[in-house]
Amino acid sequence: MSRLRVEPRVTESVIAQYLVPVVAIVLTLLSGTVLFTFLGKAPSAVLYTFLIEPLTSRFGIGEVLLKMAPLLLIAQGLAIGFRARVWNIGAEGQLIIGGIFASVIAIHYNESESTWILPAMVFAGMLGGIFWASIAAYLRVRFNANEILVTFMLSSVALQILYFLVTGPLRDPDGFNFPQSVVFADSALFGVLIEGTRANTSLLIGLTLSVLAYVFIRHSLPGFKLSVSGAAPRAARYAGFAESQAIWLGLIIGGAAAGLAGVGEVAGPIGQLQRTISPGYGFAGIIVAFLGGLHPIGICLAAFFMAILYVGGDMALISVGIPNAATTIFQGMLLIFYLASYLFVHYRISFQGRAAAT
Amino acid sequence: MMRGLRRVAALFFVGVLTVGAHSASAAELKIGFVYPSPVGDVGWAHELDNGRKAIEAAFGDRVETVVAENIPEGPDASRIMNQMASTGAKMIMLGSFGYMNDGLKLAKKRPDMTFIHASGYKLADNFGNFQTRNYESAYLAGIGAGFVTKSNILGIVAAYPIPEVVGIINAFTMGAQLVNQGVSVKVVWLNSWFDPSKAQESARSLVSQKADVLLSLYQDTPSVVTVAEEMGVYVVPTSSDMKKYAPNHLLVSQQIDWGPHFVEMVKNTLDGNFKGIPYWGGMKEGAVRMESWTPNLSADQMSVINEKTAELKAGAFHPFTGPIVDQAGATKLADGEVIEDGALLGINWLVKGVETKLPD
Repeated sequence: MSRLRVEPRVTESVIAQYLVPVVAIVLTLLSGTVLFTFLGKAPSAVLYTFLIEPLTSRFGIGEVLLKMAPLLLIAQGLAIGFRARVWNIGAEGQLIIGGIFASVIAIHYNESESTWILPAMVFAGMLGGIFWASIAAYLRVRFNANEILVTFMLSSVALQILYFLVTGPLRDPDGFNFPQSVVFADSALFGVLIEGTRANTSLLIGLTLSVLAYVFIRHSLPGFKLSVSGAAPRAARYAGFAESQAIWLGLIIGGAAAGLAGVGEVAGPIGQLQRTISPGYGFAGIIVAFLGGLHPIGICLAAFFMAILYVGGDMALISVGIPNAATTIFQGMLLIFYLASYLFVHYRISFQGRAAAT
Repeated sequence: MMRGLRRVAALFFVGVLTVGAHSASAAELKIGFVYPSPVGDVGWAHELDNGRKAIEAAFGDRVETVVAENIPEGPDASRIMNQMASTGAKMIMLGSFGYMNDGLKLAKKRPDMTFIHASGYKLADNFGNFQTRNYESAYLAGIGAGFVTKSNILGIVAAYPIPEVVGIINAFTMGAQLVNQGVSVKVVWLNSWFDPSKAQESARSLVSQKADVLLSLYQDTPSVVTVAEEMGVYVVPTSSDMKKYAPNHLLVSQQIDWGPHFVEMVKNTLDGNFKGIPYWGGMKEGAVRMESWTPNLSADQMSVINEKTAELKAGAFHPFTGPIVDQAGATKLADGEVIEDGALLGINWLVKGVETKLPD
């Protein structure tokens, strides 16, 4: 009797590591084909709208870059923590608090045309994200509270704070009680990156951060320490790298990046503080980070791909007529297939034939 | 298991049907519809979609409609609108106040298009808005609530503290006070149009605080209604008739009907004389009506309600007629004074008798 066995690999498979995202994407597309056929749509037409159409027009490309900015920022920040096994899954909350901090400045100085408004907002947003992530870091280091739960639950708290602020202190006094702030002045908005689109210069922050992330991981001591803490926690301890340092650093970097993404949203396409400032970028960023193999360059590609999925999903909604849950399903499948395929980086399947049995 | 399967099958069907057939039709006018929540069987988006069906029934092949449901209010909504515009839609119906600023931006960029927007306050030549005088039906429902309550505590599960919702809370309270001076009203702010589990939780907590009539205020789900039926308290839903979810404990439903207004706006667009007007339809215009009054009210009680209904339909009575005192005891309207539309559109105070404060 031959049978299948899953056994650990002695060394990680490098080929498998590169193949994993590709396999995940291919499997997702195949399942998508089945799904769309089920919906009574021609899969080729849907997949074309999903994956190609966003890139065929200036408007589409602008929208993709617009979507890419927050995903890129969040994923780069999270990946650094993830490499050190610091599981910050609350980037959504850090994004919201970052957006709030930045908005406070924009709302307070709404009449000002100073060129310092936007830099101040960027700084404040970063601080906001750091502040929110630090709560989880403190609780983890001081009381050993699981940062997965704490960061996740703090996201709900952040959302409630946002609701409170837009229905109260930060509400537009002339806005008939509608839960939103005043519309920001131009001095509080990112400039347009490509004329005629909504893509704005906050994308440059994300790209800069990607370069910094690369340098940090490859060429800095703290980056090295973080990676060692993740890959071999015991070895790290023997080498005298404090675990608490990794936790603080991982969460602070993730929080800062998510906070910046929040600034990019309120000072970008939204242009005011309102109840929804993120359609779940904080969570999508987790998928992007893993899909990109936690590698700065991989994450750039993954963020671009995810952005296409988002924009293509909206386009397919209108022009081909698929339900808007399809985008979410697509993303979900992507993560599941990724995680399933990732098994083969560390494990392999061996066929045990008769010879082995006897 | 079978039920689960059937639900999945139903979901697929809904997906196929609601998004409408995509074809290169030769319709004169392509109209886009953006809803904040799923169309479902009842509720706000469902009634907006009934408005869309009324348009299709009235104009047939002359119009083609395309629907985007469950679209969050934010940057994505803007992309949806732009996508509709760039794929040939010449008219767009925006189903939630949060689409206002993005919709207005697009309207200014595309003077060749027309827009109608639910419950906002900004206007342009090609950008009108619409809402119901739902406070009228709420007043009538309030009278019923004032009759049936034993605990004298009414509970409201409300979406957002925007003027439209605040007006409805006030009218519901004043209706109850007309026949029962002792009532007090508790409100839970959900900060959502669509959050079934939170709506259920809030309904339960209101009942545990002795509320025995619930108002499900702009909840795009029958959650509150089913909880009321289960816990044996009366319930008043908004937007749609929800009798089937509470066959024994439905006090009355406040039914919305967008058909007449939508059809008129489409006609104006087709005729080339669309104007961005603020439409505010009440009982008189048939934009709201009462459905499924409970049989448990006595003939005397129903005659009080019927009398007020007739006055509202004739435009002879305004629920916001003084004397009206706010929560703090300040006189808002003097004896006999009737509120102006402008003040009602921006109302941000609650009448005496409502216990919960507005968040600020």
